[in-house]
Amino acid sequence: MMLNPSGGLPDDRKSMYSRSPNSVYKTGDKTSPISVILVSSGSRGNKLLFRYPFQRAAECPSSLPAKQRSPYAQNTTGDILEDQDGDSRFSDIILATILATKSDICGKKFELKIDNVRFVGHPTLLQHPPIIQVSKTDPSPKREMPTMILFNVVFALRANADPSVISCMHNLSRRIAIALQHEERRCQYLTREAKLMLAVQDEITTTTETDGSPQSPFRQILPKCKLARDLKEAYDSLCTTGVVRLHINNWLEVSFCLPHKIHRIGGNHIPPEALECSLKAIRPYHALLLLESEKALLSQLPLDCSPAMVRLIKTCSAVKNLQQLAQDTDLALLQIFQIAAHLVYWGKAIIIYPLCENNVYMLSPHANICLYSRLAQHFAQQFPGHDLPTMLAKFSLPVSLAEFRNPLDAPAQEAQLIQMVVWMLQRRLMIQLHTYVCLLVAPNEDEPGLREEDPPLAARVGGRSLSTPSALSFGSPTSSDDMTLTSPSMDNSSAELLPGGDSPLNKRMTETLLASLSEHERQVILNIPAAQNPEDLRMFARLLHYFRGHHHLEEIMYNENMRRSQLKTLFDKFRSVLVVTNHEDPIISIFQSPME
Amino acid sequence: MSSRIECIFFSEFHPTLGPKITYQVPEEYISRELFDTVQVYIITKPELQNKLITVTAMGKKLIGCPVCIEHKKYSRNALLFNLGLVCDAQTNTCALEPIVKKLSGYLTTLELESSFISNEESKQKLLPIMSTLMEELNATGACTLPIDKSNTIHLKLILLRKEPPIVQEFDVPVFTNCKEHFNKSQWDLTTQQILPYIDGFRHIQKISAEADVELNLVRIAVQNLMYYGVVTLVSIYQYSNVYCTTPKVQSLIDDKSIQEECLNYVTKQGQKRAGLRDVFQLYCGLSPGTTVRDLCSRYSQQLQRVDERRLIQFGLMKSLIRRLQKYPVKVIRDERSRPPRLFTGCHSYDEICCKTGISYQELDERLENDSSIVVCWK
Repeated sequence: MMLNPSGGLPDDRKSMYSRSPNSVYKTGDKTSPISVILVSSGSRGNKLLFRYPFQRAAECPSSLPAKQRSPYAQNTTGDILEDQDGDSRFSDIILATILATKSDICGKKFELKIDNVRFVGHPTLLQHPPIIQVSKTDPSPKREMPTMILFNVVFALRANADPSVISCMHNLSRRIAIALQHEERRCQYLTREAKLMLAVQDEITTTTETDGSPQSPFRQILPKCKLARDLKEAYDSLCTTGVVRLHINNWLEVSFCLPHKIHRIGGNHIPPEALECSLKAIRPYHALLLLESEKALLSQLPLDCSPAMVRLIKTCSAVKNLQQLAQDTDLALLQIFQIAAHLVYWGKAIIIYPLCENNVYMLSPHANICLYSRLAQHFAQQFPGHDLPTMLAKFSLPVSLAEFRNPLDAPAQEAQLIQMVVWMLQRRLMIQLHTYVCLLVAPNEDEPGLREEDPPLAARVGGRSLSTPSALSFGSPTSSDDMTLTSPSMDNSSAELLPGGDSPLNKRMTETLLASLSEHERQVILNIPAAQNPEDLRMFARLLHYFRGHHHLEEIMYNENMRRSQLKTLFDKFRSVLVVTNHEDPIISIFQSPME
Repeated sequence: MSSRIECIFFSEFHPTLGPKITYQVPEEYISRELFDTVQVYIITKPELQNKLITVTAMGKKLIGCPVCIEHKKYSRNALLFNLGLVCDAQTNTCALEPIVKKLSGYLTTLELESSFISNEESKQKLLPIMSTLMEELNATGACTLPIDKSNTIHLKLILLRKEPPIVQEFDVPVFTNCKEHFNKSQWDLTTQQILPYIDGFRHIQKISAEADVELNLVRIAVQNLMYYGVVTLVSIYQYSNVYCTTPKVQSLIDDKSIQEECLNYVTKQGQKRAGLRDVFQLYCGLSPGTTVRDLCSRYSQQLQRVDERRLIQFGLMKSLIRRLQKYPVKVIRDERSRPPRLFTGCHSYDEICCKTGISYQELDERLENDSSIVVCWK
């Protein structure tokens, strides 16, 4: 019934990052590196091969004017200016000395903090190059090839950077080091580049001595040296988009993304640990929503990417859940989870609950509803005749998509509504509300002694583990879990109760399930008029472990294969012992509103 | 999060032996290999002197500040030394850095005044000093140690906290703990003057007017109190306010301590303690579209033992509920009319009322009659 909503969207993701005029925020100061430095150590001693940026402050991209700060806010402008000079205060020679480390700490994370600059890298040992056989007939004296023993790709960061940013930068340094080490072994790539760099440096030094005009040797290195250009590109990408893609020696690809730059909502970033936590908790009934158009995304993939990824991107849609996606693409569910997690990590997709008319949406507390925002402009371009604030006002109070349906509307209008909803979800403007239910029995007034001593139901009812198998880590599949996931209802539902009939077996089962409750609670429940109906009581007992306030209606529907109307009727019948509330799903709401 | 000091060392440049560790407490903590690897960061080239250097190697973090004192009397014309700390590599050492810097300053002073370090006899006093320092800093985070007749070392570990958010004039500060547990004399005069007016219901503008303190000063003072976790911010209380639950509301069921705290806080004075079910129902009754007034009429039975103002206050402080603010947006229809200044979707009703002095009802009436304005709740 619903058309595929993910067609033809402009890539205006950058508009998500526009800040409202009131917020006083420094762009990526703490997540951008100050500079990138390459040093080596070998027979010619410790050398600084390359550093970028090579000029002070003028080229620093993160120098934001401080004019928006209110006069009373803590004044850290002094610190900012100092930071910009932080790295260039160090001369080339001293950097070479401190960053080209001893060989015993190679192969591990290297971290050095000097005043307000933090250097992080991964010093790497090189194998000795093969001994060059000099033929006996060759009269020329054997020339000593200068050998490089170790090298270090170092990023200079601000000292107050987040520890997760530091370990991400270290990760990038390690990846570049691995690629360089490989290329060195294969064709002495690094030695050749180093030779070029040093030659240019020597040349510039001699010309400076004769001319007297100071020039930066590194500027001259750039056009001659591919590696220097790669490092510059890495630095520039880290400061802007946070996505790095290099081809070392035009051969090996090094790709990396800085989650702190990619996952930003308003002025906050989603911490990577929270992201990972969220990804581990996705369920087969969730759906994957791409943040860019299918075409744009496919064009960004490398040539040798996995065909499974391509198939997934082509097949996924906002209305299809991951289980259906697995069936349609003919891939294992676990693989779908892994690819989905990968796309989410790289900021290309988010996890949502699949679109359907019963979904209830509301404005996200972090939504930018400013009239003059770029988002509003893009919306007007994308959907002529409509404006964003009016649309957002419609979602001010929670509203389900069904309420928008007007039987007199043309189907095209309905399709456009879906497109608008998808557009708003992609730009994190809306959150979805789910119904959660909790069992709370009114205490017995006559026996005050028993009242607060019963631990809440949540603590007593053990509850089955209803989460995605823990095998979902970034990388390692376990085939055994694959099998159980293909039929999820089997593992998680309480299907032991046979449907229909008031057999003694069923009655016993109901009693067992209710046994986890206290005597008083059981009495109150059994006294409810609806409990006289054995079917209803059985259903209630079967679903007891969901009534802890942590499982929403749709999850119960999925696990127990029940209809919404059935559940709602049950909740209504037992409303004297149940408390119902609506709020967002904390697991996936992280994509719409980062945790405070 | 305490930063435990594993070792304190004193390193110097010996005229014949080169860089070495003269004293370390406890003994033999820094292995020979570790020192060889990091010595270039301990006794450094001139360019790095007087800088705080933290190096991580072999599972340990060493923090030091190399000092160089030049004088003809020293062999090699300069005295190079470094008093540093060693911690585990995972420790957060930000709080220790000012201590290292201060110590290097103290030693420099001692050396310049009385040749404390170059004199072999007095240098030996360093060892017991270092032991005491380590013990006391690890135990209490502070240390006061007289060195000689005229010098005393005062050190304290200061924990760095998160930057507090900006305080707006329509925000309401409320004490996170009981107001009585507060030593007023420790705070500055401005804070002392506004303290009596912080009751969880007065907003900043009102406090400024009643305490007769300039608005920006009140904001700074409250921001300072927030930095130390003494107060937190909630929104103005009105019966027309709308709130909704957050996922954290379930913690009222899961977490016994929050439960206890809540029930004690929200019970009306002089009444029997409110029941969990009633309180939970009240919180869950808050939803978009329901004002506090509606809640009171709908749940009057549950509210018999509950003070609704304190209920809301507690819910906001613990993030069990959040306030839904109204933002008017003037959807431009007419090219010729002036662009809106306040009705852009960036300013809430609270803010507009505070800035312009109009009451909430007045603003509501005015905007309801204007068809070019839509209202968003978030």
